[in-house]
Amino acid sequence: MAQSLRTTFRKTWLTLSSIKTGVILIILVVIFSAAGTVILQRPMTDPDDMQRAYSPGMLRFLDATGLTDVFHARWFVALMVMVSLCIIAASLERFPNAWRFFSRPYKSPDANFRRALPTQAHFAISDEEQGLGAAERAFRHLGMRSERIVRTDSFSLFSERHRISEMAVYIVHASLLLIFLGGIVDALYGWKGFIQLTPGGQGNQVELRNGGVHQVPFAIRCDAAGEETYADGSPKKYWSKLAVVDNGREVLRKEIVVNDPLVYQGVRFYQASYGRTGKMDRLILTATSAAGSSQEISLALNQTADLDADTSVQLTEFIPDFVVQDGHVYARSNDVANPAVHLVVTSKKSGKSVNVWLPEIPEISENASSPYVFQPKELKTGVFTGLEVSHEPGQWAVWGGVILMAIGLTFVFYVVHVRIWVVPVAEAEGKMTLWVGGTANRNRDAFELKFKKIVEAIEKELKPESASAQPRQATSIAGH
Amino acid sequence: MARAKVEQHPATGTTLVVMVGLSIAFLLFIAFLNVVKSGNILSEANLLYAALVFYAGAGALYLGFGVTGTDAYIKFASLSTWAGLIANTGAVAHRWYEAGHPPFASLYEMLLSFVWTLAALTLIAEKKYGVKVIGTVTMPVAIVGVVLMQLLRSEVRPLVPALQSTWLHVHVTLAMLAYAACALSFALAMMFLIQDKLQTETFLAATSIFTVGIYAAVLTRFERWGGFNVIAWDPENKAEVFISKGVRLFVTIPDLGWLMLLVFCAVAAPLVLYIAALVKKTDSFLEIANRAVFISILLQALALVFFLLRVRAGSYPSLDAEGLYPTSLAASPFILSALVGGIFANLLYLLLLWRRQDLERLLPDADALDRITYKTICIAFPLLTLMIAAGAYWANRAWGSYWNWDPKETWAAITWLVYAGYLHMRITRGWRGRRAAYFAILGFAVVMFTFFGVTYLLPGLHAYA
Repeated sequence: MAQSLRTTFRKTWLTLSSIKTGVILIILVVIFSAAGTVILQRPMTDPDDMQRAYSPGMLRFLDATGLTDVFHARWFVALMVMVSLCIIAASLERFPNAWRFFSRPYKSPDANFRRALPTQAHFAISDEEQGLGAAERAFRHLGMRSERIVRTDSFSLFSERHRISEMAVYIVHASLLLIFLGGIVDALYGWKGFIQLTPGGQGNQVELRNGGVHQVPFAIRCDAAGEETYADGSPKKYWSKLAVVDNGREVLRKEIVVNDPLVYQGVRFYQASYGRTGKMDRLILTATSAAGSSQEISLALNQTADLDADTSVQLTEFIPDFVVQDGHVYARSNDVANPAVHLVVTSKKSGKSVNVWLPEIPEISENASSPYVFQPKELKTGVFTGLEVSHEPGQWAVWGGVILMAIGLTFVFYVVHVRIWVVPVAEAEGKMTLWVGGTANRNRDAFELKFKKIVEAIEKELKPESASAQPRQATSIAGH
Repeated sequence: MARAKVEQHPATGTTLVVMVGLSIAFLLFIAFLNVVKSGNILSEANLLYAALVFYAGAGALYLGFGVTGTDAYIKFASLSTWAGLIANTGAVAHRWYEAGHPPFASLYEMLLSFVWTLAALTLIAEKKYGVKVIGTVTMPVAIVGVVLMQLLRSEVRPLVPALQSTWLHVHVTLAMLAYAACALSFALAMMFLIQDKLQTETFLAATSIFTVGIYAAVLTRFERWGGFNVIAWDPENKAEVFISKGVRLFVTIPDLGWLMLLVFCAVAAPLVLYIAALVKKTDSFLEIANRAVFISILLQALALVFFLLRVRAGSYPSLDAEGLYPTSLAASPFILSALVGGIFANLLYLLLLWRRQDLERLLPDADALDRITYKTICIAFPLLTLMIAAGAYWANRAWGSYWNWDPKETWAAITWLVYAGYLHMRITRGWRGRRAAYFAILGFAVVMFTFFGVTYLLPGLHAYA
């Protein structure tokens, strides 16, 4: 029983670590991610648009299977976990071999290895020292390090470069896992939401995407907000002056713009939107009496100002985008597109009040009977700034993973593990041959050229000592 | 053998040189008139025009080289490409100086940079790797790019707040380099298939499927009673007309839909004939299929001409709004590229059909092409990785999250996964040759979808490009 359990485990492990499983998982991820870009996704799309796009039955099916929110569906997360497990299993399965190769490099090749190696060359030499000395000088000349390998029965030379390249693929896989780890941490402990502030206001309640509210342990205050536009009216800059108030003390102050957030205790505040609240801040207007004297007054909503000893004016209504229907004034929208204000001019003595509308609205306003003529000069409307707030504790793992991956990929593609062996071989009739062989783990064409150069260098070093030492066969025989 | 082929067509050599010379002289004359009119030699428009002239000359000479195999052409073609590249560099520099930021902010500026990269890569591929005929493929693409630029709105527009970031330049530069490397790997994989003795009929089928796909996509704009929908264009603001936020106004050009339907049938004919040849196992169908390709090119050219004429002139009614609205080529860059791309793919097929032996003689051998394809992807993959990373970092600064599952992001990740799959199959499974070449072609198809398809079909946060 235990035996069969172990074999089952072993089998599962082997399946999980096979390249085939990996590729199947990649294909599945590709298919489902593509589906997630084609099918309308839930939180981003308006529910009405969803209903317009799909039939009720279809929508029920899509919702039930999670296809309307693919990237947060349980099965998609499970798929990503499978991919992670597959990477871990594949790496663990292959790592011991690679580590052995890495930690105990093969330095003195035996006869079988020497016979099988595709890239090799031979020279006739008089004795071991002459051959190895020449090779050493050649290596030094080419700027390569070499070491003498002394075994009980042999004496040879080994030179290598960039052994780390053999480990590079594990670095890449580890970096990918690190990125996934960051993503998982953020999915579990991160949050993202929105907070809307008007200048002068402050808040600590962040409305989350899922409808909940997250309370941050400090308050964010908006001191001012604004926009700048280019000459053609297109937006140039949105800014908000923010301050962080922690325990009643102002601890941080920053003007944020798009692309430059404020960060406090791992919570980031981004400039996301800016607009007009549709509420009036202040109206500046001139009031001209029948006698012709005029004065400038400034009114907020529901504020009263005295015009003379007897008359006062109150601003009672502000309608940002007005429309008149059946003798009533309605607001069409909250955009300050077509504003109207309602003023009530009251006489203390008579107690009579007159309704004044700016602009004048026929049949409703009684502007003509007002003792003052009002002329609006400037309307100041309220603005709000929309801040995207997010907390992503896992992002450092993501950036670490990205840097690690860049390093790993550089090693995978551009750093080549090159190994060269030089072995003096005693042959029949007391003759000696210098065997030179080499391999590279990638980019073999470039290596062959390099090998040729090394062989030529050794040949040159051998020549001056004994003119008779002709290379018997000094060509590489690989790939031809 | 190849000599014999050339002798069958003795006229091509000198005639071509004379024709190219005459057309360049004509274009230069027009350029001269332009300079006299504007009084400014080094304006961006003139530099771009010069680039167009030289690229066109280079394209014709490369094509001439492809057809006749006369080595002298390649020298002149290279020179012409160099001249075009210099003019193009001038245009890029001018733009950069005038706008105050590197030219990546609009489709126009992206094309400007893309064409520059393409020309530079062509020269590198030719000089360093000895892939001489590559200009036959890349120069026409460059020409189409420059022509498209003449149609798009080109005035320097200020950057909207989200684009005011150094990361924009890092991200887009990496994307451009990565995509150019992918394009090169695709061209090399195609050449590998030619050298690997893939049957010409298979190329016929592939070309035909590609063109059918194009016209199927174009026909999604087919409107009842033979109309053809295009986006309305407001010539005063030089912008598309919107009904509401994100919803564009379409106008219907009458009868153009019928023509597109006809061309769809014409481009489908070679595919049908190919399938018939497979089923009946007779080669005579293939002969007819090749003729059908020729006819379909003529019809496609006709569709293009009518599309150009109808879109440029006149106002058309809309189903969604009262009145007549004008449209412009600038409102339909994707349809235009698709139509031109279809013609271009079929012409390349004809080149292969008529001159396969010469091509085989001129291209490096299959092994070398296989290796260079792999090397190109080895360059493209890290660039793709860095492009995604830079994009994520930028998104984290601008939108508040490093990964939003926005369609463009998701498709970039899919591209990355496809190439990761390629590398795994190649390195651990030892996939070489044809299977690897098909994989490289698939990878580039996904790249093209990410670049154009997502923008066209799946709009999201990446609304600028």
